[in-house]
Amino acid sequence: MSWQWFHRLGSPRWFYQTSTRWLPLLALIAAAVLITGLVWGLAVAPEDAKQGNSFRIIYIHVPASFLALAGYYIMAIAGAVGLIWKMKLSFMVMKSAAPIGAALTFIALFTGAIWGKPTWGTYWVWDARITSMLILLFLYLGVMALQYAYHSGDAASKAGAILALVGTVNIPIIYKSVDWWYTLHQPATIKFTSAPSMHIDMFLPLLVMIVGFYLFYAVALILHTRSEILRRERKTAWVRELVEPRAGV
Amino acid sequence: MDGHGIYVWLAVSVSLVVLAWLVVAPLLSRRALLKDIARDILRERARQSTATHNQGEI
Repeated sequence: MSWQWFHRLGSPRWFYQTSTRWLPLLALIAAAVLITGLVWGLAVAPEDAKQGNSFRIIYIHVPASFLALAGYYIMAIAGAVGLIWKMKLSFMVMKSAAPIGAALTFIALFTGAIWGKPTWGTYWVWDARITSMLILLFLYLGVMALQYAYHSGDAASKAGAILALVGTVNIPIIYKSVDWWYTLHQPATIKFTSAPSMHIDMFLPLLVMIVGFYLFYAVALILHTRSEILRRERKTAWVRELVEPRAGV
Repeated sequence: MDGHGIYVWLAVSVSLVVLAWLVVAPLLSRRALLKDIARDILRERARQSTATHNQGEI
């Protein structure tokens, strides 16, 4: 009885119909938070004493990196749930999470490279964090590629899930790389146990952007999963109802 | 400003384009899918009606 909600969660139809109801509101909130954070960070927050205005890249770079990591866990957990409970919807979520995570990892690497030029004098350096983020990008691309490598969608999902799970070891490495190795990328600004190492006027818009990126991720993941649901469930009656509601029934 | 504005705008605009694509692509694919499914239904209905039509002739 108590597992009913869990199995209902596994119904593609339930997901599609529920998201149809809630997506517009979620998207609106995400847009509002992102616009607020961007304007605040790019225009209102004060200049940095050492870096001037180039530090403002942080308002895209850090949230994108957070979501690249969190999104990987979401993809891996979705893969695990699909493997353990054989839940189709979970594999659909996993498949949707891959390109979103890859795009966010790219944004993190790209904005980091642009930021590196005025700050470090170089677009690229093989330091611990940057290299492990590049590996993360390859893992995401690998999961995406596996979807096309198999004839059977089931086998493709299982292979992708296993790659995703094996790759989770990379996340703590990325996270701790700045502590474990003598490396160029600076250590964490946001810590669990102590105050942030940046001025509050700069820190608050960063928090807003992080929340905004989480909301954006949710919207993007839901949108991609909805498309995947339509693709896989196109022969079912409920999907056909969406396209052509039967008249006079 | 200190001449670093170009870096910020470059980083922000490329990122916004990528983020916009992450939202637009699934919306486009959903519309294409729904059109495709509608075509499937029409095709099936056409096939069914010719089948019953042929049966009627016998």
